[in-house]
Amino acid sequence: MAKKEELRELLKAELKDDFIGEELAGERRLFVDVHNRALVKTAEILMKQGARYQVGVGYESRKGGRGLALVHTFAFDNDALIVIVRTFAPEDNPEFDSLTPIIPGAGWSERECIDLLGFRFKNHPGPKRLVLSDDWPEGIYPLRHDVPHDLMPPATRDVVFRLEQPPPGTSIVPFGPFHSSLHEPAHFSVYVDGENIKGCEYRGFMTHRGIEKLAQTELTYNDVPFVAERICGICGSVHSVNYAQAVEAAAGIKISRRAEFIRVVMLELERLHSHLLWLGVAGHLIGFDTVFMQAWRIRERIMWLAERLTGNRKTYGMVIVGGVRRDINKEKAEDIKQVLKEVEREMLSLEKAIINDKTIHKRTRGVGYLSKEDALKWNLIGPVARARGIAIDARKDHPYAAYDELEFEVPVVDYGDVWGTLVVRVKEVYEAINIIRQCLNKMPADGPLAIDLDAPIPSGRQALSVVEAPRGEAVHYVLTGEENKPERWRVRAPTYANLQAVPEMLMNNKLADFPIIVGSIDPCISCTDRVVVIEIGLQKIKVMRKEELETISRKMRFEG
Amino acid sequence: MWLWNKLKQLAISLRAGVVTLHYPFEPRPAPAGFRGQPVWDHTKCIGCAGCANHCPARTIFLRDICQEVRILLYDSARCTYCGRCVDLCPEKAITMSDKFELATDNRQDLTQAIELFMMTCQRCGRCYDLEIKNYIDRLTLLGYRYDSLEVRKVIKKSTSEFQPEMLEKTATYQRPERLEK
Ligand code: SF4
Ligand code: SF4
Repeated sequence: MAKKEELRELLKAELKDDFIGEELAGERRLFVDVHNRALVKTAEILMKQGARYQVGVGYESRKGGRGLALVHTFAFDNDALIVIVRTFAPEDNPEFDSLTPIIPGAGWSERECIDLLGFRFKNHPGPKRLVLSDDWPEGIYPLRHDVPHDLMPPATRDVVFRLEQPPPGTSIVPFGPFHSSLHEPAHFSVYVDGENIKGCEYRGFMTHRGIEKLAQTELTYNDVPFVAERICGICGSVHSVNYAQAVEAAAGIKISRRAEFIRVVMLELERLHSHLLWLGVAGHLIGFDTVFMQAWRIRERIMWLAERLTGNRKTYGMVIVGGVRRDINKEKAEDIKQVLKEVEREMLSLEKAIINDKTIHKRTRGVGYLSKEDALKWNLIGPVARARGIAIDARKDHPYAAYDELEFEVPVVDYGDVWGTLVVRVKEVYEAINIIRQCLNKMPADGPLAIDLDAPIPSGRQALSVVEAPRGEAVHYVLTGEENKPERWRVRAPTYANLQAVPEMLMNNKLADFPIIVGSIDPCISCTDRVVVIEIGLQKIKVMRKEELETISRKMRFEG
Repeated sequence: MWLWNKLKQLAISLRAGVVTLHYPFEPRPAPAGFRGQPVWDHTKCIGCAGCANHCPARTIFLRDICQEVRILLYDSARCTYCGRCVDLCPEKAITMSDKFELATDNRQDLTQAIELFMMTCQRCGRCYDLEIKNYIDRLTLLGYRYDSLEVRKVIKKSTSEFQPEMLEKTATYQRPERLEK
């Protein structure tokens, strides 16, 4: 609380006339509007105060004539405070100062704004296309309100993304868009000198689905949780809970304590199966398939448990704005306890069998090393940061749902390599089991599952919510709008932050370690990509022409 | 040390044994509360459009083909099996069945259509009296829907923003650099 006052006074004193206004929303958020010209200065002040950059959001105001807005958010993890800085530019000159020179992690958010909203950034070091496919026409910005959500510009061939020239003395090894070591489409052009990696360029965003646009045009508040859940195939609840929390915060809705506990149970079950999944995949990537088979066998129990609790093994559909949809009653609680007992026992014996195995140590120790300083510079989050000695965890730093009442450890190690992320994740498995047990014991016996939303949600309110996903902190920004739908909903998945540092992690490693280094951040490409519907031009190898693919898909759609 | 670890791993694998299920050959019933394909009960449905307006996947379509007949079409192609329609139906006309083996080569196998005979309101001439606050009103009824049943497309207000000219214009836009031959 003190920090909030202090920062507000500081910003007011330093910015003077450029400080336009503020919005006091709860204890843990500070919304300030600043003048466009003072954006970099504001960011500098906040960074000097120890902030961690989270995400940049651009949007077009639907009315009020303030034109285009850019929001940057800064987290103060030690003070449970998030500062949200908003600035405006007129529609005919949407130019902002780039923060990327001082905060490298802002690079992607800004490039996204260039693509989707047509912003321009002064001093951006590499304003290349990031989100849109290469043959998307110039001058059409999908997130502008006058572009319909189902606009489908005709595809063209022979347009490719301009990859950078490799540094002298190196050659390119392409990984992806489809590669056996990547589980989702992404393209890494890796520069190698012999066996050693000397750099890499990333071109991703091939699985955009236009989810944010859809929420702003077609869906209503309570449709979005179900779509949000489909942002990610692994951590679906994270996104639906996060979205629901953001809307609840914006509308000032207080949900029942019991619903909060049920949300935590689902989130932790998700962490449990996600980490086991990662352990399996990591084993597979280093060629240790016993780990893969056994970890996934243990995980399967949790999937079946989820099926019994929610009606499906994934996409639980538990969360709506205002609460949850299904209860966890006595029998279900017993069921959970039983499964947790077995999972814990099996996990312990698996851990004992593999943790001293030479294969794992040889393939992960010292691989993908990144120092603590670099990790801080890139604003890494989640297990990737905790393996590098940075104790950040949104569950502790910015408590949400019922986490303030639960006791748990945040495992932190300082190996700084792939091994570190493995240790952190294995420890978190036990913490998750511990948290679920506490939830079942501490959960209030009654309370409505979902509260009635009798008043309409007021428009023009901002809210920011964070949830610690298995991969790190996920951020949702919501600006409420008219007609029962959000005006802007921005999702920053954890991989969005972590993936930007992958080129640095790859530096000077062996090419054979590429899969496990990329795998160590547990990349979730479809979370990161969200936004638009078009695929990238099919690089140089043309297996099937795009027209053919399109004809086929059209035919399927209209037949029937 | 190395051997000891390998032995431990071997023990785990042996103890677990073969866990693969003989699924397609042995049936595997879904647990209670499973969210499978939704099924409509035409005797209960009153055609209020609550399910259609709240289906997140927009896969339930309604069309009044004349004053008295309203058609409700469930086109399962986009259904996400979320169960929102079941929650919101005021008449409990929908249930989530335990059907999940839905692969088919004919889309009609999964489609459900109901023809509903609607009464006409004596006062306003439409199907519902919208002045009196009733349960159906609270479902934020959008009124008549003219969804296209042929192309399975939701036609409602927001689509009025669509400008066909824009689509045409895109063909002539400047493209990004082309690949040199
Ligand atoms: S289950 Fe969900 S997606 Fe399927 S029809 Fe019902 S509301 Fe729509
Ligand atoms: S919500 Fe129920 S009663 Fe209303 S149209 Fe749908 S099935 Fe019929």
